[in-house]
Amino acid sequence: MTGAINGQLRQITRRTALGALGVGIIGASVASWPRLSGTDIPGRGDNSLSIAILGTAADAAARQRAIDAFSRIHPDIKVKVQAIQAVDWKDFFTKILTMVAAGTPPDVVYVATEGAQLFAEKLAHPLDDYIRRDAADMREFFSDVHPSLVEAFMYKGSLYQLPMDWNAANMYYNTTAFAAAGLDRPADDWSHLDFRSSLAAMKKARPSDFTPYYWTNRLFGGVVPWLYANDTSFLKETRSTGGDWLWDGFYASDPSRSLRSGGYQWLEPNANDDRVFESFDYLRGLVKDGLGVRPEEGGGNSLVGLFASNRIGTTPAGGYWVQGLHEAGMAEDGFDVQFFPRWKTQRHQFGTAGYAMMKTAKDKDAAWEWIKFSSSREAMELIFPNPATTPARRSMVNEKLYASKGPAHWKVFYDTLDRFPTTGPIPAPPQQAAVETALMKNVSLAVSGDEQQLKQALASMQRDLEIALRRQP
Amino acid sequence: MTTTTEHGLASGPTPRLSAGLPAVRTNRRRFSWNTALRVILLLIAAALTLGPVLWTLSTSLRSPSESFKLPPSFIPWNPDFTSYGQVFQQLNIFLLVLNSALVTGLIAVGQMVSAALAGYAFAHLKFRGRGALFSIVLATMMVPVQVTIVPVFMLIRGMGLSDTLLALILPAIPTAFGTFLMRQYFLGLPTELAEAASIDGASPWRTFRSVYAPLAMPGMAIVGILAFNFHWNEFFRPLILTISEQNFTLPLGLVSLQGNLGTGSISVVLAGVVLSMIPALVVFMFGQRALQAGLTAGTGK
Amino acid sequence: MSTTIPPQERPRQAARPDRPTPARNRKTGTGRHSQRWLAWVFLAPTILGMGLFTLIPIVASVVLAFFRWDIISAPSFVGFNNFAEVVQDPTVRVSFLNTIVFVVVAVALQLGLALALAIMVQEKMPAWLRVFFRSAFFFPLILSAASVSIFMRYLFNEQFGVVNWLLSLVGIPAVPWLTTPGGSAAVVILVYVWQNFGFSFLLFIGGLASIPVETYEAASIDGATGWRKHLHVTLPLLSPTTLVASVMAIISALQVFDQPYVLTRGGPGDSTRTAVMVIFESAFQRLEFGQASAIGVLLTLIIMAITAAQFRLSKRFVFYQ
Repeated sequence: MTGAINGQLRQITRRTALGALGVGIIGASVASWPRLSGTDIPGRGDNSLSIAILGTAADAAARQRAIDAFSRIHPDIKVKVQAIQAVDWKDFFTKILTMVAAGTPPDVVYVATEGAQLFAEKLAHPLDDYIRRDAADMREFFSDVHPSLVEAFMYKGSLYQLPMDWNAANMYYNTTAFAAAGLDRPADDWSHLDFRSSLAAMKKARPSDFTPYYWTNRLFGGVVPWLYANDTSFLKETRSTGGDWLWDGFYASDPSRSLRSGGYQWLEPNANDDRVFESFDYLRGLVKDGLGVRPEEGGGNSLVGLFASNRIGTTPAGGYWVQGLHEAGMAEDGFDVQFFPRWKTQRHQFGTAGYAMMKTAKDKDAAWEWIKFSSSREAMELIFPNPATTPARRSMVNEKLYASKGPAHWKVFYDTLDRFPTTGPIPAPPQQAAVETALMKNVSLAVSGDEQQLKQALASMQRDLEIALRRQP
Repeated sequence: MTTTTEHGLASGPTPRLSAGLPAVRTNRRRFSWNTALRVILLLIAAALTLGPVLWTLSTSLRSPSESFKLPPSFIPWNPDFTSYGQVFQQLNIFLLVLNSALVTGLIAVGQMVSAALAGYAFAHLKFRGRGALFSIVLATMMVPVQVTIVPVFMLIRGMGLSDTLLALILPAIPTAFGTFLMRQYFLGLPTELAEAASIDGASPWRTFRSVYAPLAMPGMAIVGILAFNFHWNEFFRPLILTISEQNFTLPLGLVSLQGNLGTGSISVVLAGVVLSMIPALVVFMFGQRALQAGLTAGTGK
Repeated sequence: MSTTIPPQERPRQAARPDRPTPARNRKTGTGRHSQRWLAWVFLAPTILGMGLFTLIPIVASVVLAFFRWDIISAPSFVGFNNFAEVVQDPTVRVSFLNTIVFVVVAVALQLGLALALAIMVQEKMPAWLRVFFRSAFFFPLILSAASVSIFMRYLFNEQFGVVNWLLSLVGIPAVPWLTTPGGSAAVVILVYVWQNFGFSFLLFIGGLASIPVETYEAASIDGATGWRKHLHVTLPLLSPTTLVASVMAIISALQVFDQPYVLTRGGPGDSTRTAVMVIFESAFQRLEFGQASAIGVLLTLIIMAITAAQFRLSKRFVFYQ
C-alpha cells in the first residue's frame, strides 16, 4: 500500500518537476526573445545610417566619441556603427557580401585597398559630385594627404573613398640583434644585397633560436614588396585615364602631379616575368640559407610574440605595428624601422583604407556628411588616438603619436610616400579574393624548393591568375 | 540483418560499458612486463592527448614575450592573468557565452523533444511508409551542411531571421542522428509494460504517455548532451549565418581574437581558448558518463 | 553476443502491441488507425523541420547548380555550364583528390589508433587508471575544432613550436610543418585525428564490452594468445562496430572544414584545400552560388556512392553472430 502511494507521489513530483522544467524553458525563451530575434541590438531595423567597420566591439566603442562629435554637428542624422569581426580583409568582405545577400547591406563600409575595386565595380557609389560640391571644405583635407594614397581609391576616373589610414611595408628590425651582430642602423638606401649581408651577420652572431628574416605569406608585406622594389609585380599594372578633375582641382602644384591617373588597373597576370622570377629566387635563397623562414599562409598571429621576445631580426611591417609591440612589452628603443631595401627601385607597397558609400545607401547625403566629417582632423584624432595604424593626414604622424612607444625613426613612415612618390597600393583588382588566393597558394612552394620547383610554382601561379582574372568580378 | 541500423540496443539504455568490463581476463596478481608496456604506451598516448591542452593553459598564463619559451613549460608556476583581462576587454565574453548557451540550450531541448517523439513513432507505431521515411531521415546525415547552406540562408532571409540566433537554432532542431538514437533507445526498452497496457485497452497515446514517456528521460539526456557538445563547438553555420558580433557564438569570437595583420597576441588568444573550454569542461565532468554511454549506445552493437 | 539476438524479436513485438488482441482493438476503435494518426503527430516536428531546412534546400541546391547567380543580379540559366567549369577547374579537382586522400589516411589512423587503444584499455589494469585513460582520450572531443586548430598552429610552428622542439630532442631536424604541402597535410590530418579518435575509441569500447568473456576463454583453451587472440576473435566479433565506426568516421571526415580553414586556409598551394572549403570559397568569397551548388551536388553524390559501397561491402565482411 505505502509502496503504491510512494510510487504515486514520486510520479506526481516527477511530473511536477518536468512541468516546472518545461515552463522554465518556455519562460526563458520568452524572456530571451529579444536576444534570439536580434531586436535588442540598438539601431536594428531603424533607418539610421549604418556604418560597417572591421573590428571588435571595443573598436566600435572607440568610434563612439567620433559619433558624438558628429551628432553635435548633424543632430538630424542618426548613426550606428556595426563592428564586424574578421580575421583579415577578405574575411571582412565576405561578411559584407553576406549582409548584402541577406538583404541588410550597411550604408557606409570601411574598405581597405584589398577591396577598393571590388566595391567600386559592384557595390559603391562614386564620391565625385560630393567632392566637387564641397570643394572648399575638401581642400584642407587633400592638402594634408599624400596623392599616392588618394590615387589608390581612384577607379576609372572616379574617386570612391577618402583615405583615412594607411601603412607601407617598411622594414622593422630588432636593435639588440643588430647591435649583437655589430651592425649599425642601415642606410636609407640600403640595397637588397646589404639586407642579405645584415641577415648573414645576425645569423652568425646568433645561430640558433633566432630567425634573421621573418615574413608571412599574404598580400601585404609578403612577396609583393620585393616585387615592387624590383620594379615589377605579379600582375601587369596599367593606369586608366581620367581623374584630372581631382588632380587639377586639388593637387595642381604637387611635385608628383604628372604621375597621377584615373586609377590603377590590373588586367593581366605577370608571374612569368623575368624579374618576378628574380625576386622569388632571392627569397628562395634567403630561405635556403636559413636567413629567412618559409612563410606561413595566413600567418602572422605569432609575429608580435616572436618579435617582442627577440627571436626575429627583421620583418616587413608598417606603422600599425607600433601599438602591438608596445602592448607586448617591447621597449621603444628595442626596435626601429627603416625603408624597405632598394633593388632596381625603392618603390614601396602600401595599403590604405577609407569609407565607401554603398549604392544602396538609403540617404546618400547623410552618408556623405559622415564620410566628410570623418576626414576632418578633429574626427581623425578621435578615431586614431594611438599608433595602431598610420593616419592618412601627414600632420598627425607626429612626435606625440609615437611618444614613449617608439620607434626612434618614426618619420620613415610618412617619408616613404614623399621620398618614393611611385610607391603604389597592393595589387587588388575587383576579383581580389580569387587573385589573392592564386598568389598566396603558390608562394610557399616557390620559395621552399629548388629552381625547378620555383619555375613550376610561377607557371602555376600564372595559370591560376589567368583563371582568377577571367572570373566575373 | 542487412544494415546495422536495424539492430536493437544490446542491453537497454546504458550498455554494459558502465556495468564493468570483462576484467577477469588474465591471471590477476602476477606482475607482467606485458602489462607494464601496455600501461606505458597508454600513458604516452594520454600525454600526447592532454599535453597540448596543458601547454595552452600554461602559455595563456604567461606574458606575450614569454609565450614561445623553450623548453616549453606545461605547468604555470607564476601565473600572470593579464591576458585574461585583455580577453574581457576585447571580447564581450559574457554575451558570447549567453549566445552560445541560448543557441545550444534551445537546440538541445528542441532536439530532445522532437527526436523522442519521432524516435518513438519509428520504433513503436505502425504506419505506412515507415521504413522508407526512416531511410530518408538517415540519408540526410550524408549531405554536408555546406551543400544546403545557401538555400538555408535564403530561406532564413525570407523568414526575416537574417543575422539572428533563431537562424542558428531553428534549422538545427530536426535531427537525424538524434531520431536514430531515440528509435534505438525505445526499441531497447522492455516490452512487457506495453503489452500489459495494450491488453488493458490503452490507446497508443496512453501507452506512450504512461508507459514509455516516463522511461524516455535517460535517452533524451543522451541526445541533449550530444547536441550540446556538437553545437557548442559549431563553427561553420555561425560563420555564415551571423554577422553582427552581438550574435556571435564562442568559437567565432575566439577566431576573431587572432587579430588582423598579426597584431593579435598569442597569450590573449590562448586565454580566450581556455575560457571557452570552461563550460564544455563542466558538461564533461557532469555528463561524461551519459555522453560516453550515448555515443556507444546508439551506434555500438 | 547472446543478448543481442532477442532485441531483434523484441522490437517487432513492441511495434505491434495490438497484435495479440485484435478483437479488443476493433472494439475500442483505437489500434491501427489511431496509431497512424499519432505517428504523424509525433513525426510532424522532425519531418516538417527536415523538409523545410534540409530537403527543400537540397532540391534548391540542385536547381541552383544550373544557374549563374551572385545574389546581387538576377539569376540566369546556364545549363550544365557550371558542372563543365567545375570539373575542369584544377583547384576543384585537387580539392576532391585531397578530400579522398584525407579521408583514407585520417580514417585509417583514427580507427587503427582507437582500436589499439581500446583493446589496451580493456585489458587488466586498476580501475582508476582505466577511468583516467578513458577520460583522457575522450577529452579532445569536447573542445571546438576551431580552438584546437588555433593552439595547434602555435605548437607546429617551424622555428619555435613545441613539436619541433620535442623532435629535436631525439635528433630530428626541424620539420617545416605549415609551410610545405606534405607538412601541412600531415598537420591537418594529425590535428583532426587527435581530436576525433576518442569518438571511435568509445565505439570500440562499447563493442568490446559486448564480446562475451567465454569467447576469449574458449580461444585461450585453443592456444590463442596475445595478438593472435585479437586477430581471430576480437576483430571478427567487432566487425559490426567497425562498420558503424567507419561509416560515421568517413561521413564526418568527408565534410572536414574547421581544421584546414583555421590551420592553413587550404595552403600552401592547394595542398590542404578540401571539397567543402571550395564550396565555401566559391559561394561566400566570390558569390558564385551556381558553381558552389554544382560542387556540392558532386560531393553529395560521391558521399552517397561511398556509403552505399560500404554497406554493400559490409554484407561480405561484417560478421554477425
